[in-house]
Amino acid sequence: MTSLAQRIDPRIRTAFSAAALAAGMVGLGFASVPLYDLFCRVTGFGGTTMKATEAQANTAAAQQTGRVVSVRFDSNVRNGLPWSFRPERPRETLSVGARDMMIFIAKNESSVPVTGTATFNVTPSAAGRHFSKIQCFCFTEQTLQPGQEMRMPVVYFVNPAMLDDPNARDIQEITLSYTFFPVDEAPAGS
Amino acid sequence: MTDIAATAPADLHGHAHAHDDHDDKPGFFVRWFMSTNHKDIGTLYLLFAIVAGIIGGALSGMMRLELAEAGIQYLPGWASMLGGESTDTAGKHFWNVMITAHGLIMVFFMVMPAMIGGFGNWFVPLMIGAPDMAFPRMNNVSFWLTFVAFLLLVGSMFVPGGAGGLGAGTGWTVYAPLSTSGSTGPAVDMAIFSLHLAGAASILGAINFITTIFNMRAPGMTLHKMPLFVWSVLVTAFLLLLALPVLAAAITMLLADRNFGAAFFDAAGGGDPVLYQHLFWFFGHPEVYIMILPGFGIVSQIVATFSRKPVFGYLGMAYAMVAIGVVGFVVWAHHMFTVGMSVNLKMYFTAATMVIAVPTGIKIFSWLATMWGGSISFKTPMVWSLGFIFMFTVGGVTGVVLANGGVDQNLHDTYYVVAHFHYVLSLGAVFALFAGFYYWLPKMSGRMYSEFLGQLHFWVFFVGVNVMFFPQHFLGQQGMPRRYPDYTAAYEYWHNISSWGYAIMAVGMLFFFLNMAYTFLLGKQAGDNPWGEGATTLEWTLSSPPPFHQFNTLPKIS
Amino acid sequence: MTIMKRLFLAVMFAMTPVAVAAAAPAAPVATATAAPVAAPADAAATAPADAATTATAAPAADAAAAPTFEYARPVDGVGQPVPGGWDFQPQVTETGRYAHWLNNVVLLPLMTIVSLIVLGLMLWIVARYRAKANPVPSKTTHNTMIEVIWTLVPVFILVGIAVPSIDLLAKQYAPPPADAVTVKVTGYQWYWGYEYPDHSVPEIISRMLPEEQAVARGEPYQLAVDNRMVVPVNRTVKLIVTGADVIHSWAMPAFWTKMDAVPGRLNEVTFKADQIGVYYGQCSELCGIDHGFMPIAVEVVSEADFARWVASRGGTMPGAAAPAAAPAAAGAAPAAPQAPAAAPTDTPAAPATAS
Ligand SMILES: [Cu+2]
Repeated sequence: MTSLAQRIDPRIRTAFSAAALAAGMVGLGFASVPLYDLFCRVTGFGGTTMKATEAQANTAAAQQTGRVVSVRFDSNVRNGLPWSFRPERPRETLSVGARDMMIFIAKNESSVPVTGTATFNVTPSAAGRHFSKIQCFCFTEQTLQPGQEMRMPVVYFVNPAMLDDPNARDIQEITLSYTFFPVDEAPAGS
Repeated sequence: MTDIAATAPADLHGHAHAHDDHDDKPGFFVRWFMSTNHKDIGTLYLLFAIVAGIIGGALSGMMRLELAEAGIQYLPGWASMLGGESTDTAGKHFWNVMITAHGLIMVFFMVMPAMIGGFGNWFVPLMIGAPDMAFPRMNNVSFWLTFVAFLLLVGSMFVPGGAGGLGAGTGWTVYAPLSTSGSTGPAVDMAIFSLHLAGAASILGAINFITTIFNMRAPGMTLHKMPLFVWSVLVTAFLLLLALPVLAAAITMLLADRNFGAAFFDAAGGGDPVLYQHLFWFFGHPEVYIMILPGFGIVSQIVATFSRKPVFGYLGMAYAMVAIGVVGFVVWAHHMFTVGMSVNLKMYFTAATMVIAVPTGIKIFSWLATMWGGSISFKTPMVWSLGFIFMFTVGGVTGVVLANGGVDQNLHDTYYVVAHFHYVLSLGAVFALFAGFYYWLPKMSGRMYSEFLGQLHFWVFFVGVNVMFFPQHFLGQQGMPRRYPDYTAAYEYWHNISSWGYAIMAVGMLFFFLNMAYTFLLGKQAGDNPWGEGATTLEWTLSSPPPFHQFNTLPKIS
Repeated sequence: MTIMKRLFLAVMFAMTPVAVAAAAPAAPVATATAAPVAAPADAAATAPADAATTATAAPAADAAAAPTFEYARPVDGVGQPVPGGWDFQPQVTETGRYAHWLNNVVLLPLMTIVSLIVLGLMLWIVARYRAKANPVPSKTTHNTMIEVIWTLVPVFILVGIAVPSIDLLAKQYAPPPADAVTVKVTGYQWYWGYEYPDHSVPEIISRMLPEEQAVARGEPYQLAVDNRMVVPVNRTVKLIVTGADVIHSWAMPAFWTKMDAVPGRLNEVTFKADQIGVYYGQCSELCGIDHGFMPIAVEVVSEADFARWVASRGGTMPGAAAPAAAPAAAGAAPAAPQAPAAAPTDTPAAPATAS
């Protein structure tokens, strides 16, 4: 080890390369978190939905073929969040490409203000890349005062590209699921 | 440092020091606690692995005892014996602690230390004609990190693990959110930290092996002349280097989720528990090969030695291991077929997984071809190796079954999977370990074991593990899920037989320990090369046991 | 898809004619299950099991007015393990029979043959080349031809396996038809919740029955539950599965179905049972202390019985009621995972915040 400074022992060189490889893999392990997120958002992996602009929605609307698809809305409340949370209607039938809106209604049933946040995905997972949302409450924190009710709109369409996807073209029903969790640890009242 | 090891038995048998302590005594602490000698460190690793194996094996014995009959018989009592409560709940939690500890101990503290730390340390330098490992002090650090990691893991069984019991009951996979929000108390933190240390130790070890093999081969020992055991350790070291850091990152994030309010794998905070599974199995699948590849290497040496023939298709054998290692990194999600993935992904992982059968087949057929035309003697190491080849084949073909995502939809997380991975590990890796142990014991200790006891050990063990694990395929096909402390009456028939298998296996182990006692008390002196002309690797050119420092003048390989 | 199956059979047959012939005696499993094996092709023709039908026929008599529903008794050897059993449970879905066929007719014989070839070769080598029989070893270390063969033959075999395997996956992932019965499955520590959003049946909590009760009902302990999931026969059932706390896994061996229940995320899996009866499964992902004690029971009933069951749960068949009546879709209100289960009304109804 003392000779380290004087000359670069080939062993030291090998060892450092190996250590760099290991360090790189540690980095990759941590980087997997944003990479996985990005991967999901790009490919619809795991039923991750797409984000779309007005223009894209208009393009999709112009490509309607008359094929209809049913969209089911699923809602969940977890970890003792003292809210009721449900879609206005459990399902909707619409034309592939057409834009539609569903209102989710959340109400704070407790006597204190509570903040919640939601995750979401669609099933079947092959539908994720074809389910586009123009507007939603995806993962923004919502604070509800005691007894307050909030109507949260989701504006979405099913991309006509689904009908060209061999894994997705026969899908009759897509389920959009939201799960609300409390922000911070166990809120009062549960 | 002393120049030459004291007389033989001291090398391997920590307790048998009394008679030659006088010339070693001043150096005892330095020799065994601050060791920088690859053979001593290898010995420490082997002793450590035996102790860990006894503990892990005792855990499986307790589990098989509990499962021998329907109903929960012993768990609450055991839980209270270890300091917990004697309640039904504590008993069930203790079950989860046992499956967790058994898995982690056998993987991280028995198979890996024995294969890589033990045989790797002992024989990689000898086989490539090197005086020692490249970084002897780091080698010592690796061992003691592993040791402390083991203490932490065992210690975690005695601290609160949530759910009203002591210990971490998360399974060796430590899946979130069971391991985060699902388990309060310090036990899981301790277990995770234990994995950190064991992982760090293995990464240091991997760096050491890679450096040693790349830089310290004797003149003429080209990569393509290296014994296959060295090849197997080289590939394994790369797998360790690439896989373990990912595990380290994943479990660090678990710790953050548990203690610092992070939400990497917590859906409530925008994380994804499935990501943890991806990371875990990105490590976990190569880990399987980390455990088995050195076994491939050991068996290759032994089959060649006792067939008195060089290995058939040497290059194919070496690169089959490289191929297994490479493909092993792109098949991980076959461990999570039921997590909810798209059909395309499942098709890919099905196909990719089956590809691994090809290089594995090459290895098996090459071993057979090595024996073909040979002049085979059936000494204990060879018998274990033959057992390895057949049992690994059986475990391998059930792996092909499980690789089919559509079939796995039923078999996933059933006893079929338990049977499969015990065939490749408990009958595969462990057979290779015993093969290697009997093969090199004369070299390491300077004494011959009892051939009779060795053969007896093999046959009783062979019958025992097959009686234990083969019926588990049936249980799995019938639907029995794994990690259950109890079951409905219909499963009792095979569970009972399986438990008897354990008892037979335990008797086999008795012969092993008898044999060890025999070797160190009565064993005949082994010559430099007890195996004859078939044993051509460099370690057999040295004395048995080898001098404390070997190859002061480097051997020249033609 | 039948083309793929035929192609596969042709490939397999061409490759190992002798082996296939030899397989029958070598692999008892293959012969023993010859009957169910023939099934996948003409599965639709299979009639519901007689025993199960008579079991559910009795309560049907007095179904005139009050919506009553009685659970059927399970039939030994159907939908549950049997003592000493080694084969898969009898499959009551088409994909299940296909997968069963793939395992028992393709994979198992093939794997048995491979294992026996290795064992046979090894024993032969052991006998032929033991030191006494062959004192002078050869020095052969290469034979390119044989190495190419033992690389390529496994490749062909694996490609042969991959064909039906991929086909099976495609069938398992076939999107459910529009009229599928949707059941929302939620895994809790340590029980299951079943909700029928299209039938306005609010979440039913399903827990393991204590031993005495299970025995009293003629059901296997540790498989029996208080409230079963009830689904109609010959209808595709779509499960949407999620977890409430940690990951669980909903598994039903007789349907060849298993899906993880992951918190914060919905999964989807389908099955179409074509035989009336009672089927048992168990949680298949380690979920804590009572992981082994949250079994799953599905009762497959006739359409009429299903309607009766829905009515007995206070629900309505789709189309029978005004769609806006009860939007029971939500896991509404503060979820109370530790609530003492029992009555299906356990889950609070959706609050009356009309919109
Ligand atoms: Cu569970």
